[in-house]
Amino acid sequence: MPLRNTDTRWGGVAQTFHWLIAILILAQGAIGLTMVDLGMTPTKVKVFALHKSIGLTVLALALLRLAWRLTQRVPRDPPMPRWQHIAARVSHVLLYVLILALPLSGWLFNSAANFPLEWFGVVHVPSLTQGLDPTLKTWSLRAHVVLFWILIGALTVHVAAALWHHFVRRDDVLLRMLPDEGRKSRTGVLR
Amino acid sequence: MKRMAVAALMLALPFAAFAQQWKVDFAHSALTFTGTYQGERFEGRFKRFDAKIDYDPAQLASAKFDVTIDIASVDTANAERDQALPGKDFFDIAQFPRAHFVTTRFRKAANGEVVASGTLSLRGVAQPVTLAVKFSQAGNGATLDVDTTLKRLDFGIGSGDWADTSMIGNDVAVHGHLTLTR
Ligand code: HEM
Ligand code: HEM
Repeated sequence: MPLRNTDTRWGGVAQTFHWLIAILILAQGAIGLTMVDLGMTPTKVKVFALHKSIGLTVLALALLRLAWRLTQRVPRDPPMPRWQHIAARVSHVLLYVLILALPLSGWLFNSAANFPLEWFGVVHVPSLTQGLDPTLKTWSLRAHVVLFWILIGALTVHVAAALWHHFVRRDDVLLRMLPDEGRKSRTGVLR
Repeated sequence: MKRMAVAALMLALPFAAFAQQWKVDFAHSALTFTGTYQGERFEGRFKRFDAKIDYDPAQLASAKFDVTIDIASVDTANAERDQALPGKDFFDIAQFPRAHFVTTRFRKAANGEVVASGTLSLRGVAQPVTLAVKFSQAGNGATLDVDTTLKRLDFGIGSGDWADTSMIGNDVAVHGHLTLTR
């Protein structure tokens, strides 16, 4: 599999970014939803710290991914109605916005609440505010939670569309986002 | 007997006056501390405390600080932390609402700095504590700065699960800045 994208498939770099970020985001959601209900113990503090570190990693990966994306050609859409081209564009842009905005809102909340922020305990990450900011704290937490559920909504559509392409339309849309060794193109246009 | 005590008091009063009683201007005074949490320094303060300050740099023998701290007034600019601190695992204010510090002795160190020894009672533990004292007088007013470093575990603050000093540092630097008037 080539590292760079081609006209017909996503390259290794784009795929790695896509699946790595997908896994980390889903882990983040699970950690986030569980950790808020933990009792006030050192374990809770450690799990929070882990959530923040993974979240900041997602932010960095998302920025790198976008930068890479801008240097790449993009595989052509299979023939499909115009509204579906548009829907795909819009939902992908929305997903990009969310994977940036979600960790950013978390970072903002963390700053406004005046919590420490050390990436995996080794790199100090600066605060985005001048210490405590109660108003911003309330709003950034709301944003963090709301953005998360918007992401879940968008992701449901995204996954449904991927499965629909694969199982109903039987085109290459899912395959071209997967490592291809030994896998056959259904339309003969992959690679 | 009682009369004698009164007489002794009246005799002693003029001497006691030498020690100079100061009034503390609490609006311009602060009792702060710096701890570490998850590898980062954080600042806190006690918003309410009372201090009786008798101090004359020339009369160290009769100097005395007597400070009472309302622990519930702790503020570290983080709502979650400020909610946890009064609890049983930390200051346990239900049992120990106040801390008390009183000096026993003042002396001048070799380098000329004044050091006050005293006893701090905090969370039911009384421990000897020494303060570095800096005093500067200007006209009718003065400022007093005192510093010390405490070990939180000596006082059982954050024991049990919270004893891990890689999460919450053991050393806590305490600073008092008092604006004094006559
Ligand atoms: C949090 C999880 C996910 C996020 C944030 C995400 C985000 C994205 C984005 C932004 C794109 C567009 C890529 C571009 O145009 O540069 C994309 C493409 C794609 N995603 Fe996801 N995705 C996630 C999970 C999934 C899952 C679970 C599946 C599969 C079931 C999937 C299947 C695909 C496919 C097949 C494409 C390629 C679409 C095409 O070739 O036009 N994604 N994803
Ligand atoms: C990829 C990114 C992220 C995802 C998917 C995510 C998801 C979540 C979720 C689902 C929750 C639970 C919300 C609730 O139900 O109350 C949560 C809470 C939280 N997140 Fe994130 N998060 C991400 C990144 C971050 C980052 C980068 C930070 C900080 C630097 C952060 C800090 C927090 C904090 C402090 C909470 C707890 C809020 C509270 O006390 O209620 N998150 N996150």
